[in-house]
Amino acid sequence: MKMKVGFYLGCLIPTEQYAYEMSLREVLPRLGVELVEMEDASCCGAPLRSINLLLTLYLSARNLALCEEKGIDVFAPCPNCHLALCEAKRTLDSDQKVRERLNSMLKEEGLKYSSSARVYHTLDLLHDKIGIEEIKKHITHPIKELKIAAHYGCHLIRPADVGRPDDSENPQKFEHILRAIGANTEDYTEKLNCCGAPIMITHPESALTKTAQKLKAVQEHAFNALATLCPWGHRMFDTKQSNASQTIGETLNMPVLYLTQLLGLAMGIEPSKLGLELNLSPIEQLKVMGGGE
Amino acid sequence: MCNMSIVDLTSMAQPQKELREKISTMLGSMQEDMPNYCYQCGKCTSGCEAFILLELEPHKVMGLAKSGFIEELVNSDIIWTCLTCFKCKERCPQGLAPVHVLFVLKNLAVAAGKQIHTGYSNMLQSVLGCGLIQQPRDVVTRKSEVKNRESLQLPECPKPKDISKFQQVLMKAATETIG
Repeated sequence: MKMKVGFYLGCLIPTEQYAYEMSLREVLPRLGVELVEMEDASCCGAPLRSINLLLTLYLSARNLALCEEKGIDVFAPCPNCHLALCEAKRTLDSDQKVRERLNSMLKEEGLKYSSSARVYHTLDLLHDKIGIEEIKKHITHPIKELKIAAHYGCHLIRPADVGRPDDSENPQKFEHILRAIGANTEDYTEKLNCCGAPIMITHPESALTKTAQKLKAVQEHAFNALATLCPWGHRMFDTKQSNASQTIGETLNMPVLYLTQLLGLAMGIEPSKLGLELNLSPIEQLKVMGGGE
Repeated sequence: MCNMSIVDLTSMAQPQKELREKISTMLGSMQEDMPNYCYQCGKCTSGCEAFILLELEPHKVMGLAKSGFIEELVNSDIIWTCLTCFKCKERCPQGLAPVHVLFVLKNLAVAAGKQIHTGYSNMLQSVLGCGLIQQPRDVVTRKSEVKNRESLQLPECPKPKDISKFQQVLMKAATETIG
């Protein structure tokens, strides 16, 4: 399979979640996906929904139009961006009045929305476009003897009516990929729970409590690690794990990795190229990292 | 946090028809319906991620919006507790979207000049200035080494080419509402 997509990073990935970007840049080209830089990109507007939904719609339409200009589809590895872009696409495609209004705004920047670009996330790119069989062909160092929990991220699976990469109540594609790279996985009661990130601004203590509760549950279900596909969720579970543990007064000790980092390891890519030194959770305890577990 | 209750405030109030209309139009632009057909089953609240920790009860928000008590909602801090997980929209038997009603209410609070959390104004300022909600940051490794895009050999961070044009359009959009 060969395809070319606009690498739309959003805000969090290019400004601090570098490990996700690094692992995507290593893994996807080896699987036949050419990543085209989007130098002119901006925020998708999703973090500003509460402030002004028109701003969100404009910013999403703008980034869609930038990709359309290049004649390529959009690859948005952040579920929050992916949802905002898909929502904008649906609104502009079904409401002529809104589309005209947005296009007159886009004109000021010399852009036009024409509905030609499709929007992909890491999950559907890996599972539906590249495919499990193709992924398996590239696995040289299977991640064996590890039971890994999946965290999809709310916006990756809901709301279904906008068209999401997986089922809203029983998503399984993430697990299929984990099994393809050799790992064990299973469903757990808290799988669909939120990471807390969206209220980090207004209610940080409650946000971190949500994070800690989910991590504690993953720990109690005896998973060896938690895998993520969302920069916001990863920031909470990995980057802020020690802050989160303070909110529930318990020790959390859960290795957290991007699925693309695990995939990269299974493909035999050097850990430093996958940004593995940037994970702040205790990933060195995992056997794949040279640890004992 | 003050003003977290939305129940007590409604006892003396009259419904606000114009604001109710405004909300309906804004929801329409988002392809969502006014909660006219909400029958208070509470399914949204039973799955709400903000219910246990922050006492957000989406079905009550829907009930008040349906009845036209918009000012009470706009003035309440409870609307800022939503985690935007979209479970309420996904599970509503009537196809309604409490999460979008909450977005619209927050938009109205901002448009009415209510004080918003500095975190939000900082993000907006940053988007206006560099296109993203924050500038690229230095990060620390597990071994406490400082890294940035350059030292990690990542290409330059994206930014709108003509930032002043970009700002102009955004500033104008920020003074309008979706519906």
